[in-house]
This record gives sequence, structure tokens and C-alpha cells, in this order.
Amino acid sequence: MSESDQREMECPVTHSQWPEDGDRWSEEENGDEVEACGLLQEMVEEDEEIDLYNEETFGLDLDTGVEDAEGDQADLLLFCGDPSPAPPSPRPHTPSSPSLPKPGPDPRIQPRAWSGIRGRGRGDKERLGGRGKMFEDPAVMRTVEGRPSLKSLDSAIVDSGTSSSWQDKDADPWVLSSYGTQRRNPGSILQDKAIVSVIDRPTPGRILPTPLNFLSPLRRPFPAFRGAGPSKNGGQQSARPFGQSYLSQMQMNPMVPHSPVRQQHYGQPFTPKMMQLRFGAHSPSPAPFYSPSANPVQRFRFPGHVTQLHPQHRRLLSQRQQRAHRKTDSWDLHSQLMSLKEKEWIIRLQMIQLQSENPHLDDYYYQEYYQRMEAKLAEEELLGDRAKREPPKLTTPYVTKTDSYTPVVHIEGSLGQVAVSTCFSPRRAIDAVHAHCPEEEQKDTRQQRLAVLHNIEKLFMILLDVEEGERRRATVFSEGERGRLREKMQRRVELIYRQLQHPVALESGEEFLPCLLVSKGKRLLARLIPFLSHDAALHILSVITSHLPGLMSRDTDEALPVLYPSLCTVIGGLSFSQLIEVLRNFTSTLPETKETQLSLACQNKFGISLLYALLSQGERLLSSEVPMEPSIGDFENWTETVFQVARHLSQCSLVEPLLLPSNLLSLFCRYLDKRTVHQLENSMERSTTSCPAVPS
Amino acid sequence: MNYMPGTASLIEDIDKKHLVLLRDGRTLIGFLRSIDQFANLVLHQTVERIHVGKKYGDIPRGIFIVRGENVVLLGEIDLEKEYDTVLKQVSIEEILEEQRAQQQTKVEAERAKLQALKERGLSIPRPDVLDEY
Repeated sequence: MSESDQREMECPVTHSQWPEDGDRWSEEENGDEVEACGLLQEMVEEDEEIDLYNEETFGLDLDTGVEDAEGDQADLLLFCGDPSPAPPSPRPHTPSSPSLPKPGPDPRIQPRAWSGIRGRGRGDKERLGGRGKMFEDPAVMRTVEGRPSLKSLDSAIVDSGTSSSWQDKDADPWVLSSYGTQRRNPGSILQDKAIVSVIDRPTPGRILPTPLNFLSPLRRPFPAFRGAGPSKNGGQQSARPFGQSYLSQMQMNPMVPHSPVRQQHYGQPFTPKMMQLRFGAHSPSPAPFYSPSANPVQRFRFPGHVTQLHPQHRRLLSQRQQRAHRKTDSWDLHSQLMSLKEKEWIIRLQMIQLQSENPHLDDYYYQEYYQRMEAKLAEEELLGDRAKREPPKLTTPYVTKTDSYTPVVHIEGSLGQVAVSTCFSPRRAIDAVHAHCPEEEQKDTRQQRLAVLHNIEKLFMILLDVEEGERRRATVFSEGERGRLREKMQRRVELIYRQLQHPVALESGEEFLPCLLVSKGKRLLARLIPFLSHDAALHILSVITSHLPGLMSRDTDEALPVLYPSLCTVIGGLSFSQLIEVLRNFTSTLPETKETQLSLACQNKFGISLLYALLSQGERLLSSEVPMEPSIGDFENWTETVFQVARHLSQCSLVEPLLLPSNLLSLFCRYLDKRTVHQLENSMERSTTSCPAVPS
Repeated sequence: MNYMPGTASLIEDIDKKHLVLLRDGRTLIGFLRSIDQFANLVLHQTVERIHVGKKYGDIPRGIFIVRGENVVLLGEIDLEKEYDTVLKQVSIEEILEEQRAQQQTKVEAERAKLQALKERGLSIPRPDVLDEY
């Protein structure tokens, strides 16, 4: 049989010119042609079936006019593939195949050239029937009369028809049951082709039985995949878009599903080069040196060399890894589709995004969690142990990020922003904040408010930095380092202070007020005050007390109390004169309402707490043994203030303060008569139902 | 705690049977074969399951490649407990019929509601035609 000889001869040729990228391959494959041929046969058989299904799916209407070419094609494409198990039916089917229309450039049409060859197992009836409809467009035809031809179904479904799913055992009853034969409402149901196939499966007789048994049933569902075998061949490629379709399909299908099975047989073809081609060569790789092809031979290590796992975490994982063991399930032939390399690639990719220069700041909860876990474990270990070992400190190497990138780019003159996606931020959200245009500095209040808010945000970042620095300073051992840190922090603190004092946009001399009117600004100040020098803090306190009515009235969020703790500490450090100064603000009268600030303060939680704190401080100073240096008139002012306050407190209703110092009563006792004291006591107690009394 | 951050945590789920819920409401059941950093999934031997009431029907679909952003959630199916359910499997035709009926009742109810509201002079604009926010 000359044809078969021809086919046998061509087997090694085509094999070495595998379709992916032929010129890049080495010539090593020539060695195992014989062995490969046998498997190629297998593949070709499979292809035959695939082609059969496709033919049935798409119809015979496109297979005309290429008789001669078809004949050649038949030879060449089936070079090696005259399967022995198939009955040696006469090949004259090919030349004598009915005149079929010339195939168009459509790649998916070409496979149907095999219709003649494939027709071995099928009767002519089918072909005739198909031919009768060959000029119809399969896509258009939807409703069927009588038995729907599989032409109206798409290939994926036909495949499911041959029971690739795990409900295989239920397939036959379905086919044979009444569901399959009734046609109640064909039109609508047949919209979904998958369903049709299940309902009306082709009878098994139409499928070549022997190849079916030969191949494992689980390998059924890859209709679109073309085996590499009968694809390219020498010079005939130009005339065959079919070959191109193979090529394109191979390219689009980098994860070759057959590979796990084939790998056992084809040692050589799957060179590192091919691996390179297969895994993600056509998929976007985030960074060149992280593609899996970088090192094909690599045993599985811990997730990447660039990880910064906490040592405790690493320990946990190694334990877990020992326990878990991924074995290849024998029943699942498609397992291990993802190779170890690919898995590691993904892990590494995700890990890169977690790199940070300051893990304690960026990943606070993770670090904290493992630190605590470690501390607890160490404690448990040491329960029986006398010697107190310190839990091992985590020394993560601070990784400096290799590339600096701008995730969001603003092009000059454009209206918006452009997101640049990198491996660190594959999908970056673009903020709705427009790019800053200096010529648009308007004076309306909204702009001002926005500017203030923006300022506060920036300063908050610096403040967080300061707090972080302080925390680090506690852990740092060297004196020089500590000093340097302290200086750095101090500078930052001063910067924040200055910025808050005189925000840029404002010309008026109202220091601190813009930020104080914003609740976040109050929080910022509250956290800043502990870092400030005494004078600066005092200054802020004075500002607050002098503007207290305004602040209180505009404090819609009730955020003022957040300032209370830090101010308390400040007050605790006041000298007598300073105290008197501050208290004076409270007793001043307001021009518009003729009320004293006092009455307003008493109605406000923060105000009254501040007042109490101040009085308490005064009392503390007076009753302590530390000699004070009062200025002239201080005592008088003090006494006067106390009287005024007492009078006021006893008269008007009070709100609950944040904290009620316990030495207030003794203060009042000293200056006032018993009756007033009693009144005061009652009114204060009335107000403080649940307020904790703090001894000061 | 999983050391694999982000989508790498799906690596543990590979080759296991999963139920995937998509954003368009479809339910797919298949073996998870492959993933990538965007959590795009490759499902093998996939079946689309339609639930109506206590019945469900399966449509075999083959291989699915799902774009990660369209997944609402996915979870592993315990093969031992898979069939331990009160739900009854029916044929595809039947379940589609049920689904159609359900859709119809819903549409009719909606229409009736709209009619009733119109009679009373009220109108609730449909979310898709609402352009104030």
C-alpha cells in the first residue's frame, strides 16, 4: 500500500515539525519516531472522532469542491493515522466523495474534509441527509421537525452527549426514557443546545466503537483541541488554513490538557523550550523575571525567596506541609493540570505584592498577631522553665522596593487620570480627585474647607509617622539612634504644629481654629498634644478655652471630648499663674448674649469637664506642699473664680461631665459656706449619675 | 491560617469539585483545574445546575473558563455529602419548564403590582431607568 508507506514515512517528518513554533525546536525528536508514531495513531484516531463530531455539528455544506486537494489532504493528514483497529474499509471514499462546496477560508470548516474518510463507520443515509441540508446555515436553523440533526448543536454539547460528565450512569436512562422522545415544545428548549444533546443524544452506534474503548472515556471532552499530529506537513501548509487553525488553537491553548498523560510517553518533545512556550508564553506576565519559564527544574520550596514570613508563621506552615501530602489520584486522569511551577508562580506573584519596607506599619495586624502568638507560646514553654528567655524578636529584613512606580499617571492637559497596572497593582482604582491646578485657587468656603481637610490628612500621615517613630524609639537600643530618632520626630511635630497654627490658605490670625472645627482635626490635635512642649500645649489650651463657645456650638459630631484626655495631662502640668490665665477665659462675658462663658460651658459635656479639670488642678496646687510662685492678684482671681463658679453651678442645671474629680468638693468646702456646698453637692451628684469619680 | 495570599489560596482547591456561583446567577459545578492571579478559573466536567424550589436539573457543559471578576463565590463540594440532600434531581426539560413557570409568575406578579400602583396613582420607577442618585 503505497499510501500507507507514504504515511509511515511522513510520520517522523511531521512529528518533528510540531505546530507550535517549529523552527525553535531541536531535532532530538527524531529518535523516538517509532514510539511516537504509535501514539500519534492514537491521537489521530481521536482527531477523527473529533472531526466526526464537528462535521456532524457544522454540516457537510462546506466540504465541496476540494476533491483533489481533499484527496491529498486526506493522505497527508492521515499519514500515520490509518488506525489498525478501525476496519480497513476502502479508501475510495475520498476520491469518490460527493462534490462538496469549496471550503472557504474559515478554519473550522476544513476539518470536515475528513467526512469521507470518517464515513467508515457510518451509513450513507446520514451523509445524504446532511448533504441535503448543506446549503442551510446551521446558525440560523433553530426549530426542527422530527429528529433534530446535530448540525444545529455546537461541538461542546455533542461531546457532553457522549457522557463525559460524572453522571454518565444516568445518561442511558435519560436517552431511552420518555423525555428523549417527546417533543412538546421543541423551539424553546432547543434554544439551549446543551440541553438538546442531553435529551436527544446520538445513538452510540454512530460513534466508532473501537476507538471509544481504546481511549479513556474521561478524555472525551476536548473537542476543540486538535492533536498535534496530523497538522503541519511540509510545503502543503500554505494551502491549508486548517493547519493554521491547528496552530492558532495550539497557541490559544497553552495549557495542553493532554500533557499530563502524554508526558509519560513523550519525554523529548517536552523540552524546556516547549515548556516555555506552553506556560504563559502568550499570557501577560507581570514581570519578566517572574515567569515560570525562568527555571524549569525547581523543586518546590517555601513560597518564594522574596517572602517575609514571620518566623512563627513559617514554623506553622512547615508543620502543616509535613502533614498535608498531595498525592496523585489514580481515578482522576486530569489532575495535576497545573504543574508545581505554575502554582509556585502564582504564589510568588502574590507574595511580591506583600513586600514592604515597613511591615509593622503596613501589615500591622499580621505582625501583631504573630508577635502575640509567639509571646504566648514562649510563655507556655517557659512555664516549667526557670530561666526567663526573651521571646525571639522578629527581625524581618526590610526590603527596599526595587521599582518605584506611579500607579496613577496624570497626563498634562488631560481631564482625568490614567491607571498604570503593574504586578503590584494590577487593577488600580483611580481617585476622583482632580489634578491640582494652582490657578484655580478660589476663596469660597467650600474650597477653603477642602483645603483644610486636605491639610489635616497630610498632617495626620506625618503624625502617624511620628507615633511610629516614637514606638520604634522604645525598641531601639543604641543611644545615638534614639537621639537621632527623637530629633527627627521633634522636627515633624513642629512642622505639624506650625501647619496647624497657620494654615496656608488663611490670612486671619485665628490659629488652630480651622482644624479645630473639623472633628478629624480635633483628633489630630488630641494625638499631637502629647508630643508638644509644655508651652506649645499651653498655647493650644488657651486657644481652645478662649474659643470654647464657638467650638461647642459648632461641635455637631460631639468630637470635642476626644481632646479631653490630652488636655487633662496638659492641665496637670500647669502652674498656678497659667491656670488663672486659662480660667479667666471661662469667666469672661460674651459680648452678644451677655452671658458668661461659664453658663455655656455648663451645658456642654466637654466644657464642664474642662472646667472641673481646671478647678481640680487649682485645688491640687493649693493643697500640695509644693511652693507656688503666684503672681500678684492670682489668689484673688482664684477665689473670685471659685465663687463665681460655685454660684453658677448651684443655680443652673448641669450636664454630666466626662470625669468628676473628687477634690472639687473639698475645694468648695474651703471657700464656701455649708449650705452652698450642700447645694453644689446635690446638683453635681444629680448630674453625675454614672460618671466615674476619679481621685486626683 | 493560609500562607497563600490572595488568589494563591485557590491552589489548595485544585482538582477538587467545586460549586461556583457567577454574577449572572448561574451555578456551575466542576473540577477546578487551573487558576491564575486574577482568580480566573478553569472548570472541568462542568455542569450547570438550575434550581427551582426543591428541584434541580443539571446541564453538562464541559470545560469552562471563567473570568475571575465574574465569580461571586465558590466552595468545595464534599464528595461524601454531595448527594445527602433534600433536593430532588429532575430532568433538564422539567427544570427548565419549572424555571420558566417561576419566571412567568414573577413577571405577572410584578405586572400586577405595577398595575395596582398605577391605579392608585403611585409609581415606583424601575431601577434601570432611574437616573437620579
